[in-house]
Amino acid sequence: MNFVLIGVNHKSAPLQVRERLAIPAARLQEATLSLLSVPCVREGMILSTCNRVEFLTYQEPAQADLLEFIQNYFSIGKEALHPYMYEYRASEVVRHVFRVASSLDSLVVGEPQILGQVKESYSLARSIGGINNNLDPLMQRAFTVARKVRNQTSIGISSVSIASVAVDLASKIFGSLQGKTVLLMGAGKMGELAARNMMQHGASTIYICNRTYERAVELAGKFPGVRSESGSATGQSAIVQPISYDLLHEYASMADIIVSSTGAEKPIFNRAHAEKYMQRRKQRPMFFIDIAVPRDVDPEINSVEGVFVYNIDDLQSVAVSNMSSRAKEAMDAEVIIRTEVERYTQRMHSLNGVPSIVALQQSLEDVRQNEMRRMAPRLAQLTSEQLQAVEQMTRALVHKLQHAPIQAIKRAAQEGDRETLAMIQHVFDLEHPDKPTPAPGIAESVAGKSDEEETAFVPTPDATAVAKADAASPAKSTAVKQESLP
Amino acid sequence: MAMYLIWLRVALVLYGVSSLTVIPDVLTGHDRWRKFVHPVCVSAFYFHLVALVEMMRLAHHWVPASLHEVETSFALLLTITFLAIYWRYRAISFGLFVLPVIFLLLLLPAAQPDHAPLSSQWMHNGWILLHIALLLVAYTLLLFSLLSSLLYLIQERRLKNKHIGGIFSHLPPLDTIDHIAFVTLVIGLPCMTVGLLAGALIAQESVGAAYFLDPKVLLSIGMWVLYVWMLYVRRHTGLRGKRAVYLSSLVFLMALTVWVANQFSTVHRFPAP
Repeated sequence: MNFVLIGVNHKSAPLQVRERLAIPAARLQEATLSLLSVPCVREGMILSTCNRVEFLTYQEPAQADLLEFIQNYFSIGKEALHPYMYEYRASEVVRHVFRVASSLDSLVVGEPQILGQVKESYSLARSIGGINNNLDPLMQRAFTVARKVRNQTSIGISSVSIASVAVDLASKIFGSLQGKTVLLMGAGKMGELAARNMMQHGASTIYICNRTYERAVELAGKFPGVRSESGSATGQSAIVQPISYDLLHEYASMADIIVSSTGAEKPIFNRAHAEKYMQRRKQRPMFFIDIAVPRDVDPEINSVEGVFVYNIDDLQSVAVSNMSSRAKEAMDAEVIIRTEVERYTQRMHSLNGVPSIVALQQSLEDVRQNEMRRMAPRLAQLTSEQLQAVEQMTRALVHKLQHAPIQAIKRAAQEGDRETLAMIQHVFDLEHPDKPTPAPGIAESVAGKSDEEETAFVPTPDATAVAKADAASPAKSTAVKQESLP
Repeated sequence: MAMYLIWLRVALVLYGVSSLTVIPDVLTGHDRWRKFVHPVCVSAFYFHLVALVEMMRLAHHWVPASLHEVETSFALLLTITFLAIYWRYRAISFGLFVLPVIFLLLLLPAAQPDHAPLSSQWMHNGWILLHIALLLVAYTLLLFSLLSSLLYLIQERRLKNKHIGGIFSHLPPLDTIDHIAFVTLVIGLPCMTVGLLAGALIAQESVGAAYFLDPKVLLSIGMWVLYVWMLYVRRHTGLRGKRAVYLSSLVFLMALTVWVANQFSTVHRFPAP
């Protein structure tokens, strides 16, 4: 398992560092291609969210200098980067990926957005050839484990996302959100969720602003109860109104809560803006939720009386205080992750023995068939029933003879005992067994199955052959292999 | 020993218990504390009320004239306001400050009886009753407004500094605290106005126009003007936060000064014969 993962997250690096490493969605493809061009990197994907930037790779050999790649790509010095980076290898990567997908490593444990973000990164990497035979089973398994964690623990039920943390904070300022006005700035997913959550908690008016007015209109269409240009509300009681960017500051002073999640390079709201808003609002409190990275709201605004600014890191600290109530769920989820990591690594090790098993089966079958061919003239006088009996007897003989070495190969592979594996390969003259090659589409088909079905490992053709090796005849298992491989 | 002293002592003990138990309630926000504090406080209120009625009945007047009577009445008003705020806003945090004050106010009255310093001609005067009762209510509401402003300041600092958990994590929302501060001031204004007018009428009748130059009267008028100004500023500029605390503190300080000014007043003296 030559997996290597390097990255930063909300625990390892402050917002200032993550801001510099953040990769916007538009640049993710180009960044992934750059990653794939690093020597030794055979497969790779990049996960870039508000809280983490991670580079997941499969390397052969595992010698690529990812830190150097990151330094060059972002033009950041080693000193500014190194203290905040973490690196995982082999089974540590498996564990980390499972935890990330299951939202156990999230800012708010149990929040559901991360799984979608991982899937998006996976799809993009897969579409450009960054995900193949090695990362694909890992990611598929990670998605399955994430679903299992959500289904088997209460972590999803009591989940508090960034959006609901924002609502909690707004409640500490305003009490009830009934009748409150929210301004959603930007079209970020997290911001949209926060605004939606506030609407569910009683916010009566949602203004949606974007640099592109059409985008704001489009986003407003996703909310129930969109207000028409003439001002008449339709649908539910909440009014949702797209506004032009030119009118941003006019509408902002009317908003009790401003949720900002744009991709702007510089802050959109500064201290002077906030002071003007407060004057217009007769000092009624205002709450800025800045989910953007880089930040949209100048932190100086927090010093204006009556104005409260919470950025993504601040939300983290609030989230931490909410974590205790979910400690048990998280502990249960960790047990699931541990079991799944063990199972996955065992399977991976088993897979390492598959080529040897298949080669052994093939070798013994070749011997049997050669002997049958050599004896064919002398067997010509046998009846068809007698010939069938001889055929069955030779197959049974081969099957019994190969049973012990197959078990030995499987044991050695599971235990990672390379010496025994090499010795068996040497004894049976299996020096160059083929590598396992999962057929394209297998992973996708597994993704659509239920969790119970998916608890079994992704069935590569060779793994199927191994599973049948004990029960079926050698000829049968060879046939399976031949059918599966192109 | 008079029965009211027993009731008052029981109330005192119950207030003491609720003063202590309200601390973990506010600090931890656990329901089990709330389930304890609230009934204990309500029980204390009943004993307190019975004790006050008994005390006044024994004194044969309804005007809280002696120090003990004023303290007991003021403490009862504090309890009523605290419970009203709790029932309306579920804001137990006020208890952290108010319950110990009530306990301290009842310490002397529960220890021994005292006698009224008022002459009997005033004891049964309805205007005096109105004057004292309404001003006590006004002072009570002013105290709650000051407490609200302080709680607002604490909550605002916590939210500004992003200290959401830990101590005081169960304070009411900012808007609620601000609403309590404003409502108490608004209700307090007519009480203070009518209370002062009643006092002015009594003074006009007994002393004549000269009462206007009395330092206590001048301070009272100053306090009223300041009170109205504070209400105006809060209403029209939306004053909140530390400036609101400063202003509330100033008015409350003024109210205390007016109280203390009895010592220098020639008009505001009603000695017993």
